[in-house]
Amino acid sequence: MRSDKKILAGNKRLAWVDKYRIFVLFALVFLFMSVFAPRFFNVFNLTSIMKTVAMNACVAIGFTIVMICGQLDLSIGTVITFAGVLGLSLKGSLGYAGSVPVAIAAGALVGLFNGLLVAKAKINSFIVTLGTMTILQGAIYTLTGGNTISLSTPDAFAVSDFLAKPLLPLVTPRILITVALVIGFELFLRRTQAGRNFYLVGGNKNTAWLAGIKTDGYTVIAFVLSGALAAVGGVFFAMESSAATLKMGDQSLMYVISATIIGGTAMSGGKGGVFRTVVAILTLEMLYTGIILFGLGNEVKIFIAGLILAAVVLYEAYAVYKHEKEVGKRPELVKELAVGKPGAADKPA
Amino acid sequence: MMGNLSAKAASAADGRSVGSNRLGGFVNQAGIYGIAFLFIALGAVLQSFGVINNFMSAQNFLNIIDAVALLGIVTVGMAFVTYSGHYADMSVPTTMALAGIVSVEILKYGFVPAVAAALAVGLAIGAINAIVVGRLKANPIIWTLAMNYVTMGVIRFVWVNKQIYPDMKTDDALTLALFDNIFRFRFFDLIGLPVLVLVILMVAGQFLLMRTAYGAQLKLTGSARKAAKFSGINVERVVGIAFILAAFTATIGGLTVTSLSRVGAWYNGAGYDFKAVTAIVIGGMTLAGGRGSIIGVIGGAFVIGLMNNIMTLLGIGTFSQDMIRGAIFIAVVGINAKSLRSLGRDDA
Amino acid sequence: MNADRIGLALEMRQVSKRFPGTIAVDEVSFEVYAGEVHALVGENGAGKSTLMKMLAGSFNDYTGKIFINDKEVELHSPSVAKKFGIGMIYQELSLAKPISIAENILAGRLPRKGFFIDRGAMRTEAKRLMGKVGLDLDPDLPIEDISQHEAQLVEIAKVLGTSPCILVMDEPTSALSREEVERLFDIIDGLRKRGLAIVYISHHLPEIFRIADRVTVMRDGKKVGTKDIAEASREEIVQMMVGRSVKEFYKRRERTIGEVRLRVRGLSRWGFFHDVDFQARRGEILGICGLSGAGRSELARVLVGLDQADAGGIELDGAEVRGEGMAYYLAKGIAYLSEDRKSEGLALRLSVEDNTLSAVIPRLTRGIFFNKKDGAATVRRLLKELSVYPPDPARTVGNLSGGNQQKVLLAKWIASDPKVLILDEPTRGVDIGAKLIIHDAVEKLAEAGNTVVLISSDLPELVGLSDRVMIMRKGRFTREMSYEQCTEEALLLAANGEESA
Repeated sequence: MRSDKKILAGNKRLAWVDKYRIFVLFALVFLFMSVFAPRFFNVFNLTSIMKTVAMNACVAIGFTIVMICGQLDLSIGTVITFAGVLGLSLKGSLGYAGSVPVAIAAGALVGLFNGLLVAKAKINSFIVTLGTMTILQGAIYTLTGGNTISLSTPDAFAVSDFLAKPLLPLVTPRILITVALVIGFELFLRRTQAGRNFYLVGGNKNTAWLAGIKTDGYTVIAFVLSGALAAVGGVFFAMESSAATLKMGDQSLMYVISATIIGGTAMSGGKGGVFRTVVAILTLEMLYTGIILFGLGNEVKIFIAGLILAAVVLYEAYAVYKHEKEVGKRPELVKELAVGKPGAADKPA
Repeated sequence: MMGNLSAKAASAADGRSVGSNRLGGFVNQAGIYGIAFLFIALGAVLQSFGVINNFMSAQNFLNIIDAVALLGIVTVGMAFVTYSGHYADMSVPTTMALAGIVSVEILKYGFVPAVAAALAVGLAIGAINAIVVGRLKANPIIWTLAMNYVTMGVIRFVWVNKQIYPDMKTDDALTLALFDNIFRFRFFDLIGLPVLVLVILMVAGQFLLMRTAYGAQLKLTGSARKAAKFSGINVERVVGIAFILAAFTATIGGLTVTSLSRVGAWYNGAGYDFKAVTAIVIGGMTLAGGRGSIIGVIGGAFVIGLMNNIMTLLGIGTFSQDMIRGAIFIAVVGINAKSLRSLGRDDA
Repeated sequence: MNADRIGLALEMRQVSKRFPGTIAVDEVSFEVYAGEVHALVGENGAGKSTLMKMLAGSFNDYTGKIFINDKEVELHSPSVAKKFGIGMIYQELSLAKPISIAENILAGRLPRKGFFIDRGAMRTEAKRLMGKVGLDLDPDLPIEDISQHEAQLVEIAKVLGTSPCILVMDEPTSALSREEVERLFDIIDGLRKRGLAIVYISHHLPEIFRIADRVTVMRDGKKVGTKDIAEASREEIVQMMVGRSVKEFYKRRERTIGEVRLRVRGLSRWGFFHDVDFQARRGEILGICGLSGAGRSELARVLVGLDQADAGGIELDGAEVRGEGMAYYLAKGIAYLSEDRKSEGLALRLSVEDNTLSAVIPRLTRGIFFNKKDGAATVRRLLKELSVYPPDPARTVGNLSGGNQQKVLLAKWIASDPKVLILDEPTRGVDIGAKLIIHDAVEKLAEAGNTVVLISSDLPELVGLSDRVMIMRKGRFTREMSYEQCTEEALLLAANGEESA
């Protein structure tokens, strides 16, 4: 049975497009690029795309979860850099087997700090993560003394080579790890009680609490995951070139925010998904490399990236604006309108 | 100020607890300048113990004031955005940069056109923010972040990632000198032009906030947007103006910082978003909106300046200072949040 | 309506709840049998909601004993209350909007198959529960995509899913159409037959006489009495609720009613209200009566410029009023005291003075200067006239009691000196003392020649204050009643679309 509200909702096909918009976008961009962009199907190009996507996808998973909970994590950029720096600088003493877990743990700790402040001290997540971002920036510079960390030992490139070595055409271990994470989290969020609880906490905290869900705990865990996964991304970034630069993670913040929102995860919480975010990252990356392939410079890419985010934010704001206008309408009266508007014709006594 | 005291006294009789927050209350009563005074006292004490040198000197204080001036200018406008309940304008850094680089570019037509062009561009950004956040009610943080990114892209695209220098654009010595002096001109060899500009903006801003109809409307909008709307206030316009003011002071700040560095570049202005928000928060203006004053936030900028100065004199590295600033930022917001929650309770 | 009284499902013995400054519930004893529908009535502020919140586990500091199925329990948290089989259905729905129906209904207890959720079982169970309330929707629809009424039914289905033995429904019919109310009553009947004890809180006497077995009346935090519906009459109940005969309660003063001031013709806002025609005169208090959702507040918002009309016109003192934005209408002299004082009326974090002057900022501005001090005298005068306690202009409004807050809100609009003041639920959640003061102030306003439009669900208030009452139903004005015709029952019936005998 159709809901009464559908009578008010109007065009059904548009609603479908809206729901699956990221896939539609993906298809459009892919088609466009494969037809028009020179050397798009070049192996090098595709590998490069997959590589960037893999690194950013990990970060985006965590960020998506935080956004599903209705919060914002602005610190992911600096966590990426921080983890990369840690991972490389500790490799000498602990080896990768040691430095990587330490880096990830550090990211998780930052997330814990964020989460506790947001959930328990009830400070706005924007503030908290803005603060942590600044603190981490300072920490990074202090640790590195302002220098890029790079490895120059003979086995320096071994791991990054390993990660980058295609087992199948285009499929590197790094990609496998990423894919595993994406599938794992997507299943978790969509198909397990705990995963669905995140959505509930973001959708209506009160409802979740009344249902017996420990909302504070879920908020904290979301931030911990965000920190840990950002750290994983950071480690990927660092190992990719066996060097950790100071500004490594900065661009990722906008990238990930854009992709998450474009992918359909709402800032208000309770909606969205990891898979969509990753598809959005793929789409964006195809777009960006396409721009480079067309011969336009990096600046164009940044500009377009900003424009896309701006467009999406505008679109969402506009959708809310229109929705507000409809709230409260009576279905019976709207049905009447379909027959003919009351007005000058009949003047009641 | 008196209101707080009588409120507490009366409510004790009423049996209703206002909720007390000693630190927050103290900051309110003593004013941020009291805190500033404490810092000065701290510096003096440290110096008397020989821990630091050169703190209590005229030159040192002048340096502090110069540093504070630049931050202060930008903070005045941003404060209006915060007061309106929209947290912060994250597009300020690139607005500053764009205004600066445009002004350098237009220098070839003269000083005045350069400044005019910068203003035009800055206000355009402000207008866009005003419409999108004021009218369409987009999330202010996300939108201004996106705007920041877009503007950055514009700058890097139009100027192809290059920095431009004033003397590349014009040979006219007068124009160059005028531009240079935006930052460097000093009255009586002491007081820099930016400081004067700051004082003017501060006075004007305080007046606007406290003594005009706009300020009263902004206070209501920031405190309770819906109630403001239901009081006949054009909330969209009020919020929009706040964003334009932020862009305006960002433009002036951009001109100043570009004059200081003598180069038009996309990174001029980096970090000013966070610095301004920190000054605002330390200065007693809550992020929830509707509370605080311009004089307060400049006091906050002053305290930050003092803090930086003392830390530098103590030999703490710049980046460690960043860490400390970040920690203080969170702490201050946390304290504010707690005090607000206990004040706003209603048992009816 | 029979009642299979199997046993006592709920007994509350001498329970009390205090808040700082007031006693919301004072030594109340209340019993409900299994299979009974027990109505709980009382005016706004009588204590019904607080009593039920106690049951819901919202407080951990109530005194007195509560027994469920003869077993003493301590209801100190919502999860404990749920465990003992108490199901609450509030007016404000507790559903998560972006989440699907099924996940809302089964929140926190989704059926599993190993590690994962069993989606098929989830849908089936959701459909089953929805079936109990006669709802046949796709369980994967998010709540934001269904109508308000359907959402309410989902809420009921959700509560039923926890297998409660006691169900509390708070004003369940306020937003419903006639058919929807019938459907609800069928559901309630079915639940009663299955042995559930149902507490039904409502203002609507005719409904209560239809569905309830017994009724308990509360007033000022105390229980006035409990009666079998079969043995009670409406007048008796009303008398118990109010304490005095209604017409006595409001001693009307003589007022001269002048010429027509406000003329509304054919006003429509598509989908909200259609074709509204009425007139209001100087010195008149015009009541507008209707169920919530009838469109009264929407009408008020258009009259004052918060929303735009799609058709029709407004005339004030003979001149047409056609503009945009509330500031325009306010300047013309039409003001609106909205129903939700906490979010739409007052800035709770600001002072009494700031709030009182918030509607007259343009008036206090000379040139660029805003002179708050010019308004100080007005503020003090109004605080005194309305007996606001404490009369401190600097006090944060959020710290005042509900009644005092409402007085400040009224003061704000009186300060704007409106020609037409539209009041929307002016005494909701207000104690009896403040109520009397507010009513007095409203009458004084009318005596001074202003026009007052009174929107209210408080029937005694409408009956007592209004010179005439317009009935609004489903977005249209259906009837007009004069002062003589106005009785609470007549109003109720008309609002529900029935005719009085």
